Amino acid sequence: MIQVEQLTKRYVGTTVVDGVSFSLEEGEIVGFLGPNGAGKSTTLRMITGFVAPTAGGVLVGGQDALAHPLEARRQIGYMPEGVPLYPEMRVREYLSHRAELKGVGRGDRGKEVDRVLERAGVTDARDRIIRQLSKGYRQRVGLADALLGDPPILILDEPTSGLDPNQIRQVRGLIRDLAGSKTVLVSTHILPEVEATCGRVIIIHRGKKVGEGDPKTLLSQATQAAATGPGKGSAPETIMLRGPGSTDAFVRVLENVPDVVGVESKASDQNEALVQVYARGGDRTVDAMFAALVKAGLSLRELRRTAASLEDVFTQLTKEDVAAASPEETASEPEEEGKSEDGS
Amino acid sequence: MKAAWALAKREIASFFVSPVIYVVVVVWLLWSGFGFYLLAKHYATNGGFGGSDTPLSMFFGQTIFFYVPLLVLVPVITMKLLAEEKKSGTLEALSTAPVTETSIVLGKYVAAMACWVALWFPTTFYAWITSRYGDVDWGAVGASYLGVMGMGAYYMAIGLLMSAIAPNQIVAAVLTFLALGILFAVGLGQFVFDDIAREVAEYISVWAHMESFARGVVDSRYLVYDASVAALALFLAVRVLAARRLS
Repeated sequence: MIQVEQLTKRYVGTTVVDGVSFSLEEGEIVGFLGPNGAGKSTTLRMITGFVAPTAGGVLVGGQDALAHPLEARRQIGYMPEGVPLYPEMRVREYLSHRAELKGVGRGDRGKEVDRVLERAGVTDARDRIIRQLSKGYRQRVGLADALLGDPPILILDEPTSGLDPNQIRQVRGLIRDLAGSKTVLVSTHILPEVEATCGRVIIIHRGKKVGEGDPKTLLSQATQAAATGPGKGSAPETIMLRGPGSTDAFVRVLENVPDVVGVESKASDQNEALVQVYARGGDRTVDAMFAALVKAGLSLRELRRTAASLEDVFTQLTKEDVAAASPEETASEPEEEGKSEDGS
Repeated sequence: MKAAWALAKREIASFFVSPVIYVVVVVWLLWSGFGFYLLAKHYATNGGFGGSDTPLSMFFGQTIFFYVPLLVLVPVITMKLLAEEKKSGTLEALSTAPVTETSIVLGKYVAAMACWVALWFPTTFYAWITSRYGDVDWGAVGASYLGVMGMGAYYMAIGLLMSAIAPNQIVAAVLTFLALGILFAVGLGQFVFDDIAREVAEYISVWAHMESFARGVVDSRYLVYDASVAALALFLAVRVLAARRLS
């Protein structure tokens, strides 16, 4: 549905987006991940036609979006970052106006507005003035706007920023519900969001694509790297163990398992042990730990591995990128660096 | 074009829920009403300034009362048109909807012209009052309003262009004030220069323009001038909007 080819945006002195290519199949939900200032919004703006690329191309529904901007925009429901709305309008008025702009016929407009209000969960705010709405409501009005006219593609820039946890769950649920029927590109700098909703992730850093894949693969790669890889990113894995018996017994047994770097006792309760183990070697070491405990006659009530999160994947990918960047490049983009650091 | 109409409706509604337009209309009506009162009083007590002028033709064409507030009020009307959308970010939602730049500019322009009409409509009251106490040349009044609309057509277009260029409303207002002020000042050249320079100044002069219409003379040269300046400004506004995508 969307094909992005070598998309580049240069401003005087800086390259904000640098040769980014990816594509979205119909019905896919793809997360577009990167720290603040990585070029996410600029990329989305180039896809939606708000900003013209310096180089590269965008195909929307197989059509060149630059040559046929209106046809492309008709297929896209876009929610810009920060959700700009007209503050003096009522929610229903605003959506009705937007529906008219998007070519929804007069007769269908009321029904369509009701449908998106319901879908975005803002029906109760339909008669309120936008200026008086909370951030969460505004955000969902923006989402309702994107859904108007039932476009096949949705592009959502930071859709959950400013929402409380309940609202975030609701929006994520909504996005997941769209799976299969719509092609969705969601940008975010919040990692759990991607893990929760997206079938595939594209990671962008300093305007360059640094990773792509489904979250699981990226995660197992990261776990692997964390568990086995020497050098960068080879921090030992953290494993929590809880079982009946004294903590001291657990510590003694576990300390002797190969590849266990450290064992910390977490509770001094005589009846139940709680320890935290730092270990390298991944599954192999966990198997060995379990075997050692069984051999010592100890049993377990809980074993919890802190799996690598996308956060780790992200940190790894962006770290490598920094290391790979030439000094001149780094020097020419001081602002970008500052931005990306405060956001990650 | 449907989109242009949708935009014009929204814009007009937003004009009339903001206090700004009411302030503008009230200031204008106080000012022009006071000007008209002075003229009417002068005619009542002194029998006029001689010549064929009437209070109404003086009102529409001759007095400094007529122009000064407009140079200030027009920027106040037009400053928000596009500059506010840029500043608040709503331009992003607007220009990623399936709408052309031409539709955006036309929609905004129609809304601005509606404001201009709202500004002038109450002044028909002055003509009505005059007609109760004396003879009114309704043809001349009609011509005057045609002149007013022609003037508004390009004033609003210039204001819209400045609003497209400026990053915010204040800058838009200042630029519009400067542009209209410069045109006005060049027009004053009709009282200063001779020969060709004088003719050029007269052609640009909103004063000469309104003087002619106020006498009931519909001079098509002025209408051509109004229409071409308006069209040029609107065309440039469309180009400015389109170029913004490149920056």
